[in-house]
Amino acid sequence: MSDYDAVVIGAGMGGLSSAAILASKGMRVLVCENTGWVGGCCSSMDLGDYRFDIGASVVELAWIIDEFFTSTGRRTADYIDFIPVDPIYGFVTEDGTRFSYPVDPDATRAVLATFSEEDARAWDRFAAIGSEIITGAFGPIMTRPFMTFTDAMKLALANPKMAAYMCYMLMNFESTLCSFFSSDRVRASMSLQSYFVGLPPALCPGYIAFLAYSEHEGIFYPRGGMIEIPKAMAKVLEECGGEIRFDARVKRVLVEGGRAAGVELADGTVIRSDRVISNINAKTLYLEHIGPDYLPGWAVKAISSYEVSIPAPMIMLGLDSEPNLDAHHTFCHTTLEEMNAIWFEDYLAKRLPDRGFMLISWPTHADPSMAPEGHHCLNLVTFAPYELAQGDWDELKEWYLDSQLDLMEKKFGLDIRDHVTVAKVNTPSDFERMYLHPRGAVYALQNDITASAFFRPRLRSRAIKGLYLTGASTHFGGGVPPTIGSGIAASGLVLEDAGA
Amino acid sequence: MGSLKRLLALLALAGLVVAWFSAGESTRRYLKHLGRQVPYLPYRYFI
Repeated sequence: MSDYDAVVIGAGMGGLSSAAILASKGMRVLVCENTGWVGGCCSSMDLGDYRFDIGASVVELAWIIDEFFTSTGRRTADYIDFIPVDPIYGFVTEDGTRFSYPVDPDATRAVLATFSEEDARAWDRFAAIGSEIITGAFGPIMTRPFMTFTDAMKLALANPKMAAYMCYMLMNFESTLCSFFSSDRVRASMSLQSYFVGLPPALCPGYIAFLAYSEHEGIFYPRGGMIEIPKAMAKVLEECGGEIRFDARVKRVLVEGGRAAGVELADGTVIRSDRVISNINAKTLYLEHIGPDYLPGWAVKAISSYEVSIPAPMIMLGLDSEPNLDAHHTFCHTTLEEMNAIWFEDYLAKRLPDRGFMLISWPTHADPSMAPEGHHCLNLVTFAPYELAQGDWDELKEWYLDSQLDLMEKKFGLDIRDHVTVAKVNTPSDFERMYLHPRGAVYALQNDITASAFFRPRLRSRAIKGLYLTGASTHFGGGVPPTIGSGIAASGLVLEDAGA
Repeated sequence: MGSLKRLLALLALAGLVVAWFSAGESTRRYLKHLGRQVPYLPYRYFI
């Protein structure tokens, strides 16, 4: 006898979207969340009078969010107030040069023309291909299952033109950009997005460069902070009769006769359900919550073979004055070689990088209500190893904060130290403790082509019947809209299997 | 049929060798990285 039609592990974006859609179709759904809040890495926390985002800092591909609300018979605008963000990125360089890329592709072209007329012309080609790939290849699969070669064939037959762009699956991000642009500054400023899937430009697949182009179709910040998106989804879930149980850590997934049979919580409570939807890291799910004893040998070999993604430690700063920045996102600009060195010389050697490659997010630029009047919030994000040769993250927190403020000041002339009123560092260990991301891996699994599409853990498990996956570990990968898309796709499979 | 398969495999191998020697440092790093993952793909496809 089932307690629920479906039980969902984790109130991240994939978990909430699948749960809310299923509840809207009449299923009895329970979401078990380890923390006391919703959203996973798309969330916010209050520190004094400041509100900080703890992971994601903006959304693009807003049509996926619209599709979620439409699937539940609702409209996005009734739940979330999205503020358009423009420009997409500002850049500060060591020599004091500043520039930014506006949302409007033509305005970005004009910026590129100041570096190289040739690159401005190349931008037209790059933008045209980017737009075609997003519409023809990514659009159709971001909220739908993409689990087999057959799915790939169907996509290819529906969009034969995409065959011409297959080469970007075999090229890396760096080579792809270099095949379009010749200016070092342009190449470097467009390469940073490879780290948004947790890989350096040399290891990231080339097609991701075109996915990044989706930012030129508009990026948005939800008024009140990133947590407003999962809060809206949780509200939909509850309106549809679904439940969320907070501080409910799932200890294991019950498996009976090769089928999911429910979950057992850390306090011993057993919740029975024929359908389990996981929104946690797939390695944790299969190897710890289920365990090798319940899995076929090939499944153990498969799931063990994935590498988890690079961690992204974050510093949250409350300031008593306006920072000297130009955009919601500012990149401390470095070279392509330095971006690769962060991986090959620092990350692999377990060294904390001191190269100054840093994303500064300024949410109060879009929404001043996140801080007291005249005050501002900044988030500094870098990429660094989980294990450090220098010592333990918990011991190095203060030193890390100090070193990043030093880098901002000495390399980029951004002196904010005297204006800091609140500071908090979220290290990879904190991400592991709070969100159960193994080794602080905020993007779940490495996202190269050997761990993407039908090579990424499936939305519908083949190893355990009645088990479904959502979130960054499964298709389409990390990011707020893609994880919501995974929830939409997984809920579709659950309904299909239930004959609904 | 058997000889055709052998010929195709040989051609693919030759293509890889040519691609490797004509590739830059960045592409070689990428191919090496992917090459290390290839043995797991038959398992990953089913998980």
